[in-house]
Amino acid sequence: MANYDVIVVGAGNGGLCAATTCAKAGYSVLLLEKHNLPGGCATSFVRGRFEFEPSLHELCDESTNERMRSMNQIYADLGVKETFLREEMLYRVIAKGPNGYDHRIKATKEGFIESMEEAAPGCRQQMETLFELNYLFDAAQIYMDDCGGVSGMNPVTLLTKYGDFIRAAGNSIDKLLDALGMSEKAKSLTNTYWGYLGDPPRDLNAMHFISLLAAYVEGRPSMPYDRSHGMSLAILKVFQECGGEIWYNSPVTEFLYDDSGAAIGVVANGEAIYSKKIISNIIPNNVMNLSNSKFVKKAMRKLANARTLGMSIQTVYLGLDCSMEELGVDDYSVFVMGDPDANVQYDRRKDMGLYIVNCLNKTIPDASPDGTCMLFFTIPSFDGDFPADLKPQDYKKYKNALAEKYIRDYEELLGIDIRSHIEEISVATPVTFARYLSTPNGSIYGYMSQGWDNVVNRVVFKDLENKVKNMKFCGGHSLRGDGYPSAFITGEQMANETIAELKEGK
Amino acid sequence: MAKSMIPKVPMYPFLLGAVKRVVAVLKTPDAPVKNLDDYPVNRLANELHPDRQKLVVDKIVEHSPDLKTFVFRPDDTRGTNRLAYFAAGSYLSIHYTDENITFTRPYSLSSSPKKALRDHYCITVKRVENGIASNYMLDHWKVGTMLTASAPLGDFTYEPLRDASHVIGIVGGSGITPFRSMAYAIADGDEDFDLTILYGSRTLKDAVFTDELKALSETCPKVKLVNILSEEKADGCEHGFITADLIKANAPEGEDYSLFLCGPQVMYEFADKEIAKLGLRQKFIRHELFGEYFHPEKDKDYKGDIGAEFTLTVKMAGKTFTVPAKADTSILRSLEAAGTEAPNQCRSGRCGWCHAQLLSGEVYTPARVEGRRMADLEYGYIHPCCSFPLSDLTIDVPPSM
Repeated sequence: MANYDVIVVGAGNGGLCAATTCAKAGYSVLLLEKHNLPGGCATSFVRGRFEFEPSLHELCDESTNERMRSMNQIYADLGVKETFLREEMLYRVIAKGPNGYDHRIKATKEGFIESMEEAAPGCRQQMETLFELNYLFDAAQIYMDDCGGVSGMNPVTLLTKYGDFIRAAGNSIDKLLDALGMSEKAKSLTNTYWGYLGDPPRDLNAMHFISLLAAYVEGRPSMPYDRSHGMSLAILKVFQECGGEIWYNSPVTEFLYDDSGAAIGVVANGEAIYSKKIISNIIPNNVMNLSNSKFVKKAMRKLANARTLGMSIQTVYLGLDCSMEELGVDDYSVFVMGDPDANVQYDRRKDMGLYIVNCLNKTIPDASPDGTCMLFFTIPSFDGDFPADLKPQDYKKYKNALAEKYIRDYEELLGIDIRSHIEEISVATPVTFARYLSTPNGSIYGYMSQGWDNVVNRVVFKDLENKVKNMKFCGGHSLRGDGYPSAFITGEQMANETIAELKEGK
Repeated sequence: MAKSMIPKVPMYPFLLGAVKRVVAVLKTPDAPVKNLDDYPVNRLANELHPDRQKLVVDKIVEHSPDLKTFVFRPDDTRGTNRLAYFAAGSYLSIHYTDENITFTRPYSLSSSPKKALRDHYCITVKRVENGIASNYMLDHWKVGTMLTASAPLGDFTYEPLRDASHVIGIVGGSGITPFRSMAYAIADGDEDFDLTILYGSRTLKDAVFTDELKALSETCPKVKLVNILSEEKADGCEHGFITADLIKANAPEGEDYSLFLCGPQVMYEFADKEIAKLGLRQKFIRHELFGEYFHPEKDKDYKGDIGAEFTLTVKMAGKTFTVPAKADTSILRSLEAAGTEAPNQCRSGRCGWCHAQLLSGEVYTPARVEGRRMADLEYGYIHPCCSFPLSDLTIDVPPSM
């Protein structure tokens, strides 16, 4: 009675990877997407002679251990061809205030440690330790994988051999860096990427953050040549070659279950479509809202209600009618901080916390026509930050004021003139992401991964918490938190688990 | 036992974290998960960009038998209780169907944004030779006619960080409509810029809204109207066409100004040549949607046989069917002619809403309306609204929602 072996709901990064992995294994797959484009946030948009990258800042696509899955490996295994251009520099970071600074930090382990030591003398050994810790985290995760999950592990081995994994996985990055005796400045520089995970360092899981930092540093950040839209179309090409079907403009309006509560299909375009398995790239909150309440498991409902929604962003996209040299910009990523202390950046974010400015032309020189360049401002926006009482008639003014505030700040900071060069401007807010992604309050990071909802706990509790037979979840809201690689890796993992169940006839 | 690198970091919080998770879930009261509409950000997103708006014709102003303004109000009997607010210069994609006809067309909003808050949208429609939709609206729409519209769309809007503080509108015929909206937005205080409208028409009688805009400019000095008549001479009006000299004569002395163009395609052809003489930076020249593209055979790079007839094999959400297609007709129009509703909004190659996948065959896309993403060209995705078949085609077209 099933029309397909697998229905994947949502063609974001996680859904694209899950669908392609299943199709590559020979199963019939239907990928349903509510929008008219694939990718979710992984897309692009055109204004005049510019094609903007809406959400991606940089990919950390190489793992520091060959046993660990990475985007590169997933792409290679699926046969996806895409051109990525690498960055030399990790970032330029400008901190304001009395203890402010301005440093450029290099990519690669050697480069990173060298620039960190130069910026904050005396931190070399502490930086080395961070990388050593990351190797141990990889080894611990491989050990857990080899044990077949939590139940197969020997707790004594875990505690004696991988004790530092347990230490880092249960504590914040603040606590870990303090324990290493790191200076305030070295801590500030190390924490630069906190916004990529969206939790202030006092709450940020140390294991998660160190893994992310090491992946960026050692893999060297990169960008897809033809924007994230190119990435999405590249993987879709493989999906379709394997017989996969994608339907756009086809939102799922209901999830279907049998009497036992097992998922059996969905309704899209007014028709019921049945499958043996479902992989949802859409957030569990939305799945539950689209399910008959009698089939919604109490534990999942309570978990969703207990969680904190993840970060969204406010962004300003600028197409400028001058080259980056004429503008006076020479960095791909610039992190601007209202204060060197990342916790203060979080606390004072409504005034001026952290914002990031990217110039894609530094990494991809022909990203826009000769004599032009693009700037992309990102300002983190946490659940509740966006003014809840904003009226539709004030929205345009709000967007303009936001853009002007950050453009002026950056102009003053760098002593450059941006405003007289603006040929195209587009501003996105959580409202924009809510419109295109239909996530609660426009969250792009799923749930905050802090405290008890850290990524290690998500993995440990996975099978206890998702009791819906035949349905799995992948994407930023899933096991590994936000980010392109996380979405790809959970997509692949859920596909592999689905394939294993199909093979066993479960 | 491995020596710890971080002995001062305790292990117990890891186990405690697991306990905290169990406790956090246990102590959360069991309540239904909130709906998206319960979140303020999603609510605002829906107010600004509803999937569709059900409208009903509330009033018709007949400027002449060939030119009417339709005033819409929200149709609460079909679930639309208020109209989405918009920035002056936006357009609606209007969808209409009855037993005789089905069409979807973009129309600029000619009313002020403020009126949307008072439950009124206006569009102004002019009779066009062979215009299927416009002529049907003029001849058949009455008070009470029901239709469906998109949310307000487009980017032909004033952006204070991008545009000069003085905008010169280059207008041909019914291209006046977005400028009427902008003029009222300025008068209402919702926008803040100087607007000089250079309004080209054949005769003064053809220049709809002239009296109204003249009156508005008397109370609102930021708005100025100049009529340019090509087929008659009249007091207070310029005679001829909108030339570079005329633009210069109306430009602010020694200051930057932005040109906003809206009119028929022939006007763009003429005006673009004149504007080129002014040597303005590209950022100061903005065109409204080009409009539907006809006669691709007039393009130098067109290599097809314009008289040819082809077959389109269409895949649409699991269904496959065929549709006849002519070389001189856009793929979107061929689909519509066969009774297939396909997604579309701007019908000018710009918005990307009709994005479809070309599975086999070849198409021609005129450079003037090429608005695709870089990867679309690489992987064979097209905008059917401005693509013309050069062979039999197989295309995957998403259903129209």
